Amino acid sequence: MIRWLAGRLLQTLATYALAVTLLFIMMRLTPGDPLAGLSDERPLPAEARELLRRRYRLDQPVLTQYADFLAGALRGDLGVSIAQHGRPVTALIRERLPATLLLGTTALAAMFGIGIAVGVLQATRAGSVTDRVLGILSLTAYATPSFWLGLVLTWALAIEWHWFPVAFMHAPLLDPDAGWWVRLTDLLWHLVLPVTTLTLVSFGAVARYQRAAMLEALGLGAIRTARTKGLRDRSILWHHAWRNSVGPMLALFGLWLPLVVAGSVFVESVYAWPGLGTLAAESIGSRDYPVIMGVAILVSAVVIGGNLLADLLHGWLDPRLRPSQ
Amino acid sequence: MTRPLLGLALWGSLLIPRAALGQASVLPGTLVIAVAREAISPVPTLWASDHPSQEVSDLLFLHLADLGPTLSTTDESSFVPRLARRWTRRDPQTLIFELDPRAQWQDGVPVTARDVVFALERARNPNLSPQLAALLGRIDRVTARDNHRVEIHYRLAYAEQLYDAVFHAPPLPAHLLTGVAPESLATAPFRSRPVGNGPYSITRWEPGKILELTANPAFFLGKPGIHRVVFLPSPDPETRVNLMLAGEVDAVENLYSLPNWHRVEALPAFHYYPVPGLGVVYSVFNQRDPADTSRPHPIFTDPVVRQALVQLLDREVLSRAAYGNLTEVPDAPVSAVLGRAITLPPHLAVDTSLSRRHLAASGWLDHDEDGVLDKNGRPLAFALMVPSVSASRMAMAATMQEAWRRAGVRVQVEPVEPPVYVERRNAGRFDLDLYSVIQDPTPSGLAQSWSCAGIGGSNAGYFCDPVVDTLLAQAGRSLTASHRLYQDAVRRLAEDVPAIFLAAPVNSVPVHRRFANVVLRPESFWAAVWQWRILPGAELERDRR
Repeated sequence: MIRWLAGRLLQTLATYALAVTLLFIMMRLTPGDPLAGLSDERPLPAEARELLRRRYRLDQPVLTQYADFLAGALRGDLGVSIAQHGRPVTALIRERLPATLLLGTTALAAMFGIGIAVGVLQATRAGSVTDRVLGILSLTAYATPSFWLGLVLTWALAIEWHWFPVAFMHAPLLDPDAGWWVRLTDLLWHLVLPVTTLTLVSFGAVARYQRAAMLEALGLGAIRTARTKGLRDRSILWHHAWRNSVGPMLALFGLWLPLVVAGSVFVESVYAWPGLGTLAAESIGSRDYPVIMGVAILVSAVVIGGNLLADLLHGWLDPRLRPSQ
Repeated sequence: MTRPLLGLALWGSLLIPRAALGQASVLPGTLVIAVAREAISPVPTLWASDHPSQEVSDLLFLHLADLGPTLSTTDESSFVPRLARRWTRRDPQTLIFELDPRAQWQDGVPVTARDVVFALERARNPNLSPQLAALLGRIDRVTARDNHRVEIHYRLAYAEQLYDAVFHAPPLPAHLLTGVAPESLATAPFRSRPVGNGPYSITRWEPGKILELTANPAFFLGKPGIHRVVFLPSPDPETRVNLMLAGEVDAVENLYSLPNWHRVEALPAFHYYPVPGLGVVYSVFNQRDPADTSRPHPIFTDPVVRQALVQLLDREVLSRAAYGNLTEVPDAPVSAVLGRAITLPPHLAVDTSLSRRHLAASGWLDHDEDGVLDKNGRPLAFALMVPSVSASRMAMAATMQEAWRRAGVRVQVEPVEPPVYVERRNAGRFDLDLYSVIQDPTPSGLAQSWSCAGIGGSNAGYFCDPVVDTLLAQAGRSLTASHRLYQDAVRRLAEDVPAIFLAAPVNSVPVHRRFANVVLRPESFWAAVWQWRILPGAELERDRR
């Protein structure tokens, strides 16, 4: 077991190193001047451009830049942003990460919670009107572009009915010294529309996976045995059938996990949510290499780590997948 | 709006406040501004290419003097004293500034000549501020004569000495910054909590969320009429529209930067102020072959072709559709602000039949009857490179392509990302581009993009006319004839049609109607917010909080 774990960890680390290297190389191969963000609106004199290239070491060979990046990353120093006047990348990520974590984890919990519930309900009533209606609704929601849904929800619920705020993470004029309860309710109030948007456009995928996995599980011999033993329906459904359907859901969870740190560019943008998604998009748009790499190594870590976690959880839940002693 | 009317509006907005200051009530108030980009480093010498940072910096740090209502950079009598209460000329190459003794930093320390020297020395150091150093190259030395007098000596006598001294680098608190390593100011705590000498100070800054400024009650030019100014970054223009519709903001930067601006162009809660812009939009004809820049361009070296291509376009319709009804159509690389100072050359109006005749006379005819003009077997076809993120320029490009197609000119629109656009532009790898640039309020910057020396730098189209160079150089050195020389240079440049000059946008800035004495400065919209007031009885809940 320990050998298996060590091997799996080594494999994960190798994948991570390969991913980071490929990201670095691909970023440098992409055409575009990283000083563009500094010179787009006002022409930058040639001498100033040269000086800035030297300052940000863009004049160095790519291998030297890569070595610098790795050496810095190992020390926890991800370099400085070009577009943001030399501010440390770690500081930028630190500023934006909490907002993305909050939005991502809440949306992920909501989409899996609702998606699993809907999928299980559909599976238990397969072929019924409820199943078909829920199937159409979830598929429609899944096919809806998030930025469009965000704008529609804002128009209806914020502008027309004033139920929720148009944008931002907090009421801008909220007293910073307001009590924790006031701040918490304000935060939740601002969270409703972005989380609803993200949940609506993604729970359909979870529901469809869950429905298929659950239908397969309900057809297993073990479930028939449980029924003949006279176990309660609720117990059969959740303790036996659902547990057998968890494998594909864990794999799906592993794929969606990056949402927690990568955020959603469109939703963050529509609601002016100050997260990592918009920072990453802006950085890619301006070829701000250090920030792109900073965000990328974080997201890669979560993607690869998420898959490892999903594998481990799957093995823990399904003894058949554990390595033989 | 016509140019004289706009001029009047600008004059009015600058003059009314002083007359009305005494009449308006003094209330605590809040101005909430939704901005497309947030400030990064609102500290002088750190914001050379970052307009949002300059906007905030101008509320924290006073300049020695501001441009006057005419926005002239050469008329010294039109400048408005700020930190400097007066200036005198010792000789044609030396200016002496006398600081206002009432001015003090927000930590209570008086503003001294040492602070002026500190900021200008920092700005002139090419290792610290490469862009500013290039702009301030004509300053020879800056010395403090005593606590309140600064002497600036220039390398030569020229008309914009005062402008150079006051516009680019407001004083910094030397007593707080001498201990900070010069190259690390951008990351020092001072960047996020600067101590200024202006009407406001930063009281709350959560990057990506909010930047809140609070009035400085000890501001020596008078207590600001608006207690709090809040900048809310909302990069998505749709969000800014929604915030206006929901009444959650009091101002946005420019109506015409919003998508579907017709939706919010007449909201009853807002008054819309026209403000001449510093931007100019144009398509540069690359006069060198993009495949080999040592060779001339196969099409664009002929000025007759260039002029014909311009006159095939209805630039009035094009620019107004993209940049709003107030936009002006220049015939030179001159923003709406610069256009106040420079009389533009005669307008090249749309004339398709004349253009066709000119093209035919140059040998461009449809010999093979395929619908595309050709000459010596070469079709009149080229690519138009456009930054893909600019919706207005993408729309313009499509309209230009269609107008040219009808005349037998085949154009391929090439949308590219901004970094690729800049890279290709700098390398001369394009036929025709669609460029938007912010100019300083001075014509001296023209040399950067339109002189032979600028080739390889900002002169992307390889335009080179020694006469224009001479005129620009003479204008930059002249004490008395600078204005006329710049005008001559611009006229000469325009005659050669090195570009299609499309738009000199005039902004329309929506501001909530409860604000009075509204002054919006073209070079820095919010710099005069401290002179605004809330109309008595019109305050909202957010004004009282």
